[in-house]
Amino acid sequence: MGGSLAKPVLLILAMYAFLKFVVPNLPGSAPLPSSLIFLYLMLTTTGIVVFKTLSRESKDAFFAPILNFLTGENIGAMSAARYGFLILFPLLVGWQTYGSTATSDAPPAENRTIHPAPPGEYTGLSNPVSKTPENIMQGKGFYAAFCSPCHGGKFDGKGPAARGFNPPPANFSDPTTIAMLQESYLFWRIKKGGVGLPIEGMPWKSAMPRWEVELPDEWIWKIIMGEYDGAHQSPRTWE
Amino acid sequence: MKPANQIRQWVSGVGAVAVTALILSGAAPGLAQESESVSVSAPMVKGTLPVDDPNAAIWSTAKPAKFPMSPQVHWPNRILETTVKDLSVRALHDGTQVAVLLEYADPTEDPDDAAAIEFMVGDKKAHFAHGQPMAQVEGGPVNIWYWKNKDKKGVDMNAMGFGTLKIQTHQDVKATGAFSNGTWKVVFTRPLATEHTAEDTQLIPGGFINIAFAVWDGRKDGAGDLVEKGSQKAVSSWWYFRAEAPPDYSGYYYAAFAAALALGFQFVLIRKLKKGQAA
Repeated sequence: MGGSLAKPVLLILAMYAFLKFVVPNLPGSAPLPSSLIFLYLMLTTTGIVVFKTLSRESKDAFFAPILNFLTGENIGAMSAARYGFLILFPLLVGWQTYGSTATSDAPPAENRTIHPAPPGEYTGLSNPVSKTPENIMQGKGFYAAFCSPCHGGKFDGKGPAARGFNPPPANFSDPTTIAMLQESYLFWRIKKGGVGLPIEGMPWKSAMPRWEVELPDEWIWKIIMGEYDGAHQSPRTWE
Repeated sequence: MKPANQIRQWVSGVGAVAVTALILSGAAPGLAQESESVSVSAPMVKGTLPVDDPNAAIWSTAKPAKFPMSPQVHWPNRILETTVKDLSVRALHDGTQVAVLLEYADPTEDPDDAAAIEFMVGDKKAHFAHGQPMAQVEGGPVNIWYWKNKDKKGVDMNAMGFGTLKIQTHQDVKATGAFSNGTWKVVFTRPLATEHTAEDTQLIPGGFINIAFAVWDGRKDGAGDLVEKGSQKAVSSWWYFRAEAPPDYSGYYYAAFAAALALGFQFVLIRKLKKGQAA
């Protein structure tokens, strides 16, 4: 036993190390979930087995050391590792079974859609308020009065009232929030608030007020202009 | 055997064991990750629940969950700053009753100091702000357990939006508070299950249910008016509550059976392989 197994083993270990330690550090990447790592390792293993069984000779050369290892025939100093494997395998099966059957202490998973689709009547609306410095300034004033307690004076979602809310108030300076949305989307979200969200937006958790009961539409459009200007972002357009 | 061959065998053997472990452990659940409080867990205790004693030693057996609080800004009349910034929550149950202990910092004891716990009722989701009506989702009611210092009692209420708060005709909730060194400790108790399933949240051991909190500092301003009152209060988002179920050892039994099965499989496989090699 030896050479014919050493390469596949090293290949799988290298693949594991790559997925576990290298991929998360690539630019724009994130740690892979264990289920995905498991899937990749299984694909790698399958590929190796297919490659090694293309011919009778390579198949025998591949499986012979495995059979010898399992039966203990002519493995010399490998006996200790064999016993270790024979003990470890049932224990791992037991562990895996426990993990999949034991009662979980984790609360139910929540999959919230951050930007759910707006109702049709809000799609494609354009801001009727002209984009003048005066209107932008007025919008910033309304923002300071009505929005900044949660969304922050710096448009970063870190207002003094924000800390207890889950989900947290949106950070407008983050390029993945209002910069990805059209002004009509913001008009809908501000007007109808958290309770206007569809079910995938978890309307029961959002603290966003339903501003239509307190602010005229014109003020909301001005607030939108003030938000984009203050956060140094531009609305998404289709042009 | 040559030393080089021996080393190669060791690399292959140990590597094979490691790969097996990697692959199998990849399918196993990940290690528990540390996270901020998202849930209050009420362990089951034997003996008497500390229903009227916020300072009972047994509370230390319950793990505290800490939740941040925000001013209530969702609906007018809103407030932009509140006294209470964080809330610590512990809970216990005895299979019949549940006791929930709220603990928070408040510089002064005032007659109008008050606290409340809110639950969803039934299967329908409810908005965390008193079950405010939602435009695209049919919401359900919320069940609110309320305590005020000067009243010295718990009040069982329901709401489906601000302005709809209604005291129940049947009162199942008890509450008592103790103030010491700038800290309030308030205990709410209620039977886990009640007959009034349409109004009262039903706490089934083992099941998760949404929970939220509210606190009012009963201090007054220079004009003698309450600063925090009604909808002007500190609130939390929805979090989770679970009364722990009695210990369940079935996972260990299944694991032992699976390990025994794997051991038997190994035994049969190796025996068959050995027979094949001998032939």
